[in-house]
Amino acid sequence: MPTPFTFDPVDLPPGIPAFRAEIREWLAREMPRDYPSHQRANCWAVYDADFSRRLGARGWIGMVWPKTYGGHERSPIERYVLMEELLAAGAPVGAHWIGDRQTAPAILRYGTEAQKQRYVPAVARGECFCCIGMSEPNAGSDLASVKTRAERLPDGRWKINGQKIWTTLAHKSHLIIVLARTSPQDEKNRHAGLSQFLLEFGTPGMRVQPITDLVGEQHFNEIFFEDCIVEADGLLGTEGDGWKQVTAELSLERSGPERYLSSMSLFHELLRRVGPDPASDAVRQAIGRLSAEIWTLRQMSLSVAGQLARGEDPYVQAAIVKDLGNVFEQALPPLVQSLADAGVRLEQDSDFVRTLALLLQVSPSFSLRGGTREILRGIIARGLGLR
Amino acid sequence: MADLEQRQMLADTADRLFADATKSAETDAAGFDAALWAQAVELGLPSLLVPEGLGGAGGDWEDACVVLQAAGFHAVPLPLAEHLIAAQFAAVAGIDVPTTMLSFASAVEGRFSASRTFEGRLLGVPWGRHAGAVVALQPDRPDGVPLLIRRSDAFEVEPHVNPAGEPRDTLVTRGSPFLVGQPRPDGLLLHERLAVARCAQIAGALRAALQRSVEYAGTRKQFGRAIGQFQAVQQQLAQFGTEVAAASAAATAACRAMARLGNGVTAADARFTIGAAKLRCNLAIGVGTSTAHQVHAAIGFTREYDLRRSTQRLWSWRSEGGNDRDWSDRLGRQVCARGAEHFWSDLTARDDAASSPRE
Repeated sequence: MPTPFTFDPVDLPPGIPAFRAEIREWLAREMPRDYPSHQRANCWAVYDADFSRRLGARGWIGMVWPKTYGGHERSPIERYVLMEELLAAGAPVGAHWIGDRQTAPAILRYGTEAQKQRYVPAVARGECFCCIGMSEPNAGSDLASVKTRAERLPDGRWKINGQKIWTTLAHKSHLIIVLARTSPQDEKNRHAGLSQFLLEFGTPGMRVQPITDLVGEQHFNEIFFEDCIVEADGLLGTEGDGWKQVTAELSLERSGPERYLSSMSLFHELLRRVGPDPASDAVRQAIGRLSAEIWTLRQMSLSVAGQLARGEDPYVQAAIVKDLGNVFEQALPPLVQSLADAGVRLEQDSDFVRTLALLLQVSPSFSLRGGTREILRGIIARGLGLR
Repeated sequence: MADLEQRQMLADTADRLFADATKSAETDAAGFDAALWAQAVELGLPSLLVPEGLGGAGGDWEDACVVLQAAGFHAVPLPLAEHLIAAQFAAVAGIDVPTTMLSFASAVEGRFSASRTFEGRLLGVPWGRHAGAVVALQPDRPDGVPLLIRRSDAFEVEPHVNPAGEPRDTLVTRGSPFLVGQPRPDGLLLHERLAVARCAQIAGALRAALQRSVEYAGTRKQFGRAIGQFQAVQQQLAQFGTEVAAASAAATAACRAMARLGNGVTAADARFTIGAAKLRCNLAIGVGTSTAHQVHAAIGFTREYDLRRSTQRLWSWRSEGGNDRDWSDRLGRQVCARGAEHFWSDLTARDDAASSPRE
């Protein structure tokens, strides 16, 4: 059997318990005990610019980046521990999450010296928030079919025309990496001719239009580019290498603890509601099973973090963790609803009900964002040698 | 105990031995393969968990993990897991480990005389008909006094087999000698050791069922192409793959906890880890066996086709070492008692502590 299906346990370095305690102490100060539980749900979609700036000031954004660019040169495992602690506590990390996870790492990997200096330290300070310019109205799972065009002008600058959609927090972000076509689509090599561009919000020709989601919140947007002019140094990496760069970015996007912890606050609410000794066998056993699943997912997610820290590219393993994690965090809200005692009605006003109602409605998106279940299982099938 | 390279060699050795044996041997599980057992003994596999000072191979549970996964993968008809558990149990309890094949009893009914003779029934003894001695816990003793009951002429076998055809016998004796060991030397019971061993075997057997299913989907043609080229089939096998990965991760982590028992891992931590792992492995059996048979269709239901050697074992092992209800109830009780404020910190503290063994 190919190795992608093995997940060796990781030994955490000796300093981790102390670091964990430091994070928890900080969070206890920064997040009051009465911080609402429904805002702890799916918390990496919760925007709080002030929280992100305080986190940046604490040195907890860009933990693994070089100090030259405002980073802190800590280990990838320490960064992983910080991520899981923030998520388990339900901290409002949405504002800086994308920049920390993938935008700045992409700039550090492919960017010019000027690009690194301009953006990376600001991301690390929690002052520059980023979003992802991949999806388009006709390019979702089939990302290679993007139609947004970037045309090189005689003076070396670029002119961008097209549209992006489902761009999370675009209306509150400063920077976006746009995937665009720089040469016409070739049906024989669909992945060729794509390039990435760094665009600052406010650039003339760029228009953001909000889309209200099903619970009535505004967190995603459409972005229109109309003869939007980008300086020559707006190109990120190599012209034509966009697909390769985007794929590397997706590995980072899929492997983290956010792929199984989005419903964690509801599990905590369930434990509070049923108390220390629930009479119902069904409730007790469901809690036991959910605990076993959380434990397993954490073992797997840690294992992938260990592989990334060793410089490996666990592309298939990341897809496995994301798929299993999404199935779990998506199954949890309806399971909790089915277990709730007869007194629970969704019009009620309590931490438990608000958290449940929110997650019931938003959890279907968990297996869409960052690669749909079908795409992930396609990657896994390829890992099995089926395609 | 062994470093990674040595452990890989151990895995390869076990894999080669079992692969060759299952190619040549008759595949009826109940037929204990005495020749293969002799080879395994020669390689030191059954005594892997017995310290070198006591005549064993001095390995740990991470070593046992790779051997048991290989045994599960090849569906070997050997009491390897049972002997490993019984021998280690006897050794840690301070009982001299006999050189015969060992097994254990899931339950004991009968009378223990002051003259160290047992008269009664040993229930649910895997491979009991082949065992030279059986370890058990003395009933009605909450601290779980370990016993080793020697096989004698006074024994009669009531043969039983699980759906995989593996012997799960009842042994009846009119009077057999027994030895007594230290109670709960490391805090873990036979039942919990069995759960860990079954996890490793389950991970191996699931892997075999997945590999067989992927190969079959690549060769079986319908509508003019291999069925593995249909997305509907690919998606099912991919999901099967994620379950195999989960079971494998769970089994490996549980074995590591056992290997570090008393050294960063408390008995209570190990019990949580073992329970979570067995429960997760049991869940994977549901998806794994149903998908394997769905992909194979009718051929998978024939006696001569080998898929059943994996799936019948998986269905049997799901009930052995604790079923879903046992473990989910135990874990649920424990998690509820600790409450929301401790769930996450308990979860992380276990791995943090296990990561820092005193060496």
